Amino acid sequence: MGQAIHLNGNGHHEQSFWTKYLFSTDHKTIGMQYIITGLFMAAIGGFLAYVFRMNLAFPGEAIPLFGELGPQQYNMLVTNHGMIMVLWVAMPILVSGLGNLLIPTMIGTDDMAFPTVNMLSYWIFLLSSVVLLASFFVPGGGFAGGWTLYPPLSAGAYADTSPDFFTALFSGTSLFILAVALEIVSMLMGGINFLVTTINKRAPGMSAFKMPVMVWFLCIASLDFMFSVAPLVAGAVMLLFDNILGTGFYDPVRGGDPVLFQHLFWFFGHPEVYVILLPALGVIGEIITVFSRKPLFAYRTIVKLSLIAAVLAIVVWAHHQFIAGIDPRMATFFSVGTIIISIPFAGVFLSYMATLWGGSIRFSAAMIWALGFIGLFLIGGLTGLFLGSNTFDIYAHDTYFVVAHFHYTLFPIVFFAFFAAFYYWFPKFVGKQLNEKLGKIHFWLTFVFFNGTFFLLFFNGLMGQHRRVHDYSLFSNVIQEPYITFEKISTVCAILLIVSQFIFLYNLVISLRKKERAPSNPWNAATLEWQTSSPPPHGNFPVPVKVYHGPYEYSNPSFSLDYVPQNYDERIMDTESKQDQYEPTADIISTT
Amino acid sequence: MSQQQTLSVPPKAIPQGRLGIWILIAGELVIFGGLIAAYLMNRLRYPDQWSEQAAHTSTFFGAFNTVVLLFSSYSIVRAHAAATRAQVNKVLVWMSITIGCGLLFLVNKTIEYSGEISHGFTMTSPRLQEAGNQIGSLFWSFYYTMTGLHGTHVLAGMVAMLIVMAGVRKGKNLHRVELVGMYWHMVDLIWIFLFPLLYIAK
Amino acid sequence: MLAFSIFPKNISTYGQEIDNLFWLILFFVTVAFVISLYVLLRPLFTNHYKKVPKARYITGEKKKHFRWITAALVLLALSDFAILFAEHPVWAKTQENIPDPDMHVAIIGRQWNWIFIYPGKDGKLYTADDLYIDEQNSGLHVPVNKTVVFDLKARDVVHSFFVAELRLKQDAIPGRTIKRWFKATETGKYDMACAEICGVLHSQMRNFLVVESQEQFDAYMNTLYEKYKTNQ
Repeated sequence: MGQAIHLNGNGHHEQSFWTKYLFSTDHKTIGMQYIITGLFMAAIGGFLAYVFRMNLAFPGEAIPLFGELGPQQYNMLVTNHGMIMVLWVAMPILVSGLGNLLIPTMIGTDDMAFPTVNMLSYWIFLLSSVVLLASFFVPGGGFAGGWTLYPPLSAGAYADTSPDFFTALFSGTSLFILAVALEIVSMLMGGINFLVTTINKRAPGMSAFKMPVMVWFLCIASLDFMFSVAPLVAGAVMLLFDNILGTGFYDPVRGGDPVLFQHLFWFFGHPEVYVILLPALGVIGEIITVFSRKPLFAYRTIVKLSLIAAVLAIVVWAHHQFIAGIDPRMATFFSVGTIIISIPFAGVFLSYMATLWGGSIRFSAAMIWALGFIGLFLIGGLTGLFLGSNTFDIYAHDTYFVVAHFHYTLFPIVFFAFFAAFYYWFPKFVGKQLNEKLGKIHFWLTFVFFNGTFFLLFFNGLMGQHRRVHDYSLFSNVIQEPYITFEKISTVCAILLIVSQFIFLYNLVISLRKKERAPSNPWNAATLEWQTSSPPPHGNFPVPVKVYHGPYEYSNPSFSLDYVPQNYDERIMDTESKQDQYEPTADIISTT
Repeated sequence: MSQQQTLSVPPKAIPQGRLGIWILIAGELVIFGGLIAAYLMNRLRYPDQWSEQAAHTSTFFGAFNTVVLLFSSYSIVRAHAAATRAQVNKVLVWMSITIGCGLLFLVNKTIEYSGEISHGFTMTSPRLQEAGNQIGSLFWSFYYTMTGLHGTHVLAGMVAMLIVMAGVRKGKNLHRVELVGMYWHMVDLIWIFLFPLLYIAK
Repeated sequence: MLAFSIFPKNISTYGQEIDNLFWLILFFVTVAFVISLYVLLRPLFTNHYKKVPKARYITGEKKKHFRWITAALVLLALSDFAILFAEHPVWAKTQENIPDPDMHVAIIGRQWNWIFIYPGKDGKLYTADDLYIDEQNSGLHVPVNKTVVFDLKARDVVHSFFVAELRLKQDAIPGRTIKRWFKATETGKYDMACAEICGVLHSQMRNFLVVESQEQFDAYMNTLYEKYKTNQ
């Protein structure tokens, strides 16, 4: 890593090892801590998936690296796989991790608005991960009632045995809820930081529509998250009290209502999809503009459309509950809302595709990951129309059709967008160039095996295979060809999908060991984070930057340059030297 | 830090701390909003059973605590006014009064709780449940959760004020008085919602 | 065509309409997918930087530039509304308008079985002579081509009544009674699953829907009367 540069007049002090890598208030270190923790949790989530996929393909057989799998453990694995992948992988990596790395560097400032709060939010997040992992090992095992936490299953687990306070507190269920609550608190603190930083700490000249679309999307996501998650905080506290104190908020016998929790949960749960989709879209927006050397098509319209979508996202939550006993007329309203939300997002995606038209496209590793994201999310989004239609949802709800659908949305969001971001920004924040060829092999293997894992499950779902079932031997529709074979194909592909990720690890290791340092702007990008050294020094910009141009000034005929950095000042900078910089770095792409 | 900030903050922006607190307040209000919405939903479902239980809450203590909190809002305003004139001693006095009010509020709350608990109204109200009044016991769960969560916020506000006061004594960070004041007003505002919902509506 | 059928056999009067809805949405989705894929892939083949060294500078902020996307969005909106108009009558039929029953039963989910309550000899539910069947694999026996209305309840946690062949799924919520109906058109024995995770043995929560002729059904009811006579 780069040496700590002491910046005079910047007020940043020389850092010891501890304050630099562990208890750091530097947004870059915190961002990387989030991403590393998120990847660690992803490995755990992936292992859980491997275990229960093995069980689905080869029921009743001992699973290598795990052993026998009972129904309770099976339920626990699917539950925790879901929650880990959404709250401990997608959120820290896409929102907190990328947000921390990118917001200050993209808007041209030294750090977050509240660096100490930022550090605190990471440590609370780490604590929540530890609490979650600890919940696996308490007596009775981890929580096993589905990641949606529906009471009374999640509330009444200990009601009959009437244990004391501490037994209930240290049950898997309580620890699970506690971990979720801590995670939410940490993300809320991060969200406040993002919003204040973006509103207040932009470099001079960085007006709203000169911000890269990534910053816009991170802020919209933070806002959406704040307003949707807060009622769930109250809901989680009530659920925790039901568990450890024996109250009856969700107990119908005592006048409580289980559906209340479903509303609170999905009021958060649905916008959550957009909370993680928006940063992913931001990543893709940055990457396709750079590698097609074109401005983002209809940038302002994209921002407006996503604002509309963010508002709509808050009022469509009950489409997860079409058949949960809500009033059928209400369901019609939510169905209309859900189907209509396809329109703004289609606008955003079509604008992204329009960016490619007339471009000069370079297929770097980051670019093909981004294109893969668009292609796969297309399938995920379009299959959403089946489920958004409340009538077909009567049949498809809680079947593998739903499972396949949301993996087609969430897997591209979490992994394709993240790897795109990783291959794109790694040279900037670590200072080493990743191997492009390995990146592309990694992409193609992931792409093929991902489709192999999930595409056939659509058919299993349409045949009526319902979710979260340990053993299908009782259900004749599922126990017939070709569905048994589909399960086996899916499992084999899932294992190969996990194995393919070792290419990524290998790439990471050999790149970190490289001696040569990455150039400061290997992709010739115009946004601010590329206009400082790689990695940026503590404080990011040795000289405070001023912004004169939009974020996507590529191939603008009114300039003699191929691209115009946002802080490019015609009066000061030398045109020739900029053009020189363009040539050697173009080779990095063309050789790969 | 200061030099960097003056360069990068656009001139007319809201000060950083104030903006952060505004966003925090917005989030907190939605948290309580979720809880209040859940309460109202149940209240409308069980109008009779719940108003019968609400009659057991002490309007006197509730009203007294409202007055205490309103006065504390006044005192923190005075503290802020003193802070803008950099009168450190006055700030300390008015903040101490505010903390005293918070303490008085919590003491009242404790007395009130003990009275209710001695009558068998607890988080789960087993006595009501044995009598078959399951729905009534749910009212008390809501009562303790809402006032308890609010009380936790009062306590947090007091701790925050102590931290701010430690700085103010050394003449540092006077602007934080305003920030903690804003937070305190929010705590007050939430009580203004809770008081009629839990105490007056019978 | 595919060598296997996409859906399980349909035995309810409204099942075909739900299947048709799937094909309708699939049509719109396929059209949208093919168009989008073309829009995504074409520039990748034509605009490689070796063929097109300099990109065109289009910001897309002008209405003129955006018109293709506007057109696509209008098309999408039209197909959205086509879907909504096609589905709403089916939704109203299955969920909102419960027809007059030929037979009224109650189905109760518990950990981990479906309990069936048949009306007794008086033909009315919730009277003293109700038949309360809580047996693994007892089966819900219904006569063919008769409208069956059921009250769905749950005793402990959330369950979900699911018979794939009926194209019917409905959550059972503790504390609520939810009315749904079906009319089975083919005799046979079909799996009745619980589609919402309900605890350890969620995967074992299986019973049957037994659709049989009126005579067989009457015979079954008579055996039940005999069997439970002592209880009444």
